[in-house]
Amino acid sequence: MDIIGNLAHGFAVAFSFQNLLFALIGALIGTAIGVLPGIGPVATISLLLPITFGQPATTAIIMLAGIYYGAQYGGSTTAILLNLPGEISSVVTTLEGYKMARNGRAGAALATSALGSFFAGSVATVVVAASGPLLTSIALSFGPADYFSLMLLGLIISAVLAQGSIIKSIGMVVLGVALGLVGTDVQTGQQRFTFGIPELSDGISFVALAMGMFGIAEIVLNLERPEARSVLKTKVDSLWLTKEEWKRATPSVLRGTVVGSILGILPGGGASLASFGSYMMERKMSKGRHLFGQGAIEGVAGPEAANNAAAQTSFIPLLTLGIPANAVMALMVGALIIQGIQPGPRMVEAQPDLFWGLIASMWIGNVMLLIINLPMIGMWVKLLQVPYKFLYPAILVFCCIGSYSVNNNVFDVYSTVVFAVLGYMFNKLKMEPAPLLIGFVLGPMMEEHLRRAMLLSRGDITVFIERPISASMLAIAAVALLAMMLPNLRKGKEAALSG
Amino acid sequence: MKINAKDVASGAFLILLAAIGLWLNMDHTLGTARRMGPGYMPMLVFWVQLGLGALVLVLGFFSGPDPMERWKGIDWTMLIASIVVGTLVWQISPMFGEFFSSTYNGIGLGMLVGFLVICYAVGWRLLGFICAAMCIFALLLEKGGLMLAVAATILISAMAEPEHRSRPLGVLGLMIFLLAMCWWIFIKQLDIRVAVWPMQY
Repeated sequence: MDIIGNLAHGFAVAFSFQNLLFALIGALIGTAIGVLPGIGPVATISLLLPITFGQPATTAIIMLAGIYYGAQYGGSTTAILLNLPGEISSVVTTLEGYKMARNGRAGAALATSALGSFFAGSVATVVVAASGPLLTSIALSFGPADYFSLMLLGLIISAVLAQGSIIKSIGMVVLGVALGLVGTDVQTGQQRFTFGIPELSDGISFVALAMGMFGIAEIVLNLERPEARSVLKTKVDSLWLTKEEWKRATPSVLRGTVVGSILGILPGGGASLASFGSYMMERKMSKGRHLFGQGAIEGVAGPEAANNAAAQTSFIPLLTLGIPANAVMALMVGALIIQGIQPGPRMVEAQPDLFWGLIASMWIGNVMLLIINLPMIGMWVKLLQVPYKFLYPAILVFCCIGSYSVNNNVFDVYSTVVFAVLGYMFNKLKMEPAPLLIGFVLGPMMEEHLRRAMLLSRGDITVFIERPISASMLAIAAVALLAMMLPNLRKGKEAALSG
Repeated sequence: MKINAKDVASGAFLILLAAIGLWLNMDHTLGTARRMGPGYMPMLVFWVQLGLGALVLVLGFFSGPDPMERWKGIDWTMLIASIVVGTLVWQISPMFGEFFSSTYNGIGLGMLVGFLVICYAVGWRLLGFICAAMCIFALLLEKGGLMLAVAATILISAMAEPEHRSRPLGVLGLMIFLLAMCWWIFIKQLDIRVAVWPMQY
């Protein structure tokens, strides 16, 4: 089996001192921001992007990935103990987890969530390892037209699954693509929409855009909301589960792992969608469904397994097709491109260290997180005592230094300010910034594939329908769009996304 | 009528940007579908954006009600005042010294003043102080060094939180902690190429 040899290679890469260290740093930062409400993985990763430039690509991605799945572990801690979701993906954990804590089973809930996450993470790692080379071999037969349609599908689904009105979300995607047009045209060298500013000839800075819209704008929005943090009243008892709890939690973890792995791969999917999906399923299917609302362990085990599985499988479209499934993955594309790596199906072969090293590090990271979270839980709860008013100046300073250090140019700091104002405005107008980010990342690639496809077909637009792969992508996109026009499905989506 | 003001405004914003984009795109050769010029993709993108913007706008008249947050008179006044003053400062900034006529320092000063002006209105205060704090960082960094820039950023950003104003000691402690941390991370560990202390004249 080739996969075993590859995984062995991956573990050799991941076990180097530097990679182990940065996996640990990523896991620690991830847990910390997971515990703290008000800072999510998107903001944190955009904040830390500039710091990763000096590192090798593999190390950088290992750390950033650790932040994403680490946040899924940390988010559940505060959800269970304080009824305060640290992340959107742990909103549903508050429903049953906090009830369990009030029933005196806080320790059991925490253990279930950590062990379930660990199990799901391990399974998802294997899924990524197995499906990676498989999907890659399919993707290598893709022509430019197929790629264009695939990206279009990714954009449409990410808009369909975003919160709020679909048309508005598609508008945001298109706006993102439009922002991606700024810069030098690759084929003719002509400057487009740069207003004669030399700093814009390489395009709008990805770091400035992400940091402004997600980092800075979020600071302002968090400050607008009054802070409400209750003090921990529940005492954490023994972290071990009773025999009956084991019996009830195990099938939920298994179901959650499957649901999470599938929903993670979907474009536009990811951890939050997975945890909602699993919660719905547990409430309908599990044996303890009549106990929901009173602290059912199934309602913790399923969603927690699902969000961690999804956090990992959402790397699959990125690593095999070069297509980001959600905003965090769009940031990963940005990190790779800055490192000089074009994400796409050739990555598995061209960058075996990165692909297999990342997979191996995911499993190692999950082991680390289990240790970081279970015995050291008290330390993380203490972290909550740091009030936001001391946190936000630190975030702001990091954003300033980070955006400057990308090109050692103050222009980037000023563009971050501009995008912060835009991001603030988008929030007030209920315009989702996440689809915009995905459009911004995919836009330039789409233009290249569109031009190549049309050149090959001699300007014949039917090429997109004649090629079977391309045609089926477009058909799925059309079905997804039409389905969301049906009032019933739309209501279901809104219920699922708003909890 | 159930007007969704947020959607109407979003639609108008999308239309406005698309129109500007289409206008600017007139400079670029379109080419043919077979050999696309630099203007072809922008043309497609902006027309789609225009269409979607129009759809959002029209549907916004029926999908409400979802009104905007209420703007007081002072919010409007200070928004306009901040844009006017900021632009004015930017334009006359070369008169303040050679520093402001080089690179982006002039426009940076304009942005800083503009954001500080807008803080006069309570509704704008948070956004204004946070953005002003970033601007002062950019202005001070290259001549004043990292330490001075970070200290000024913390000072201005602290104004956004009322509790900091009554307890300046907490801000001072935070400043010392963050200065030490920035020095350790960015200078000692990552060694980014930037002046640490104010430049000698």
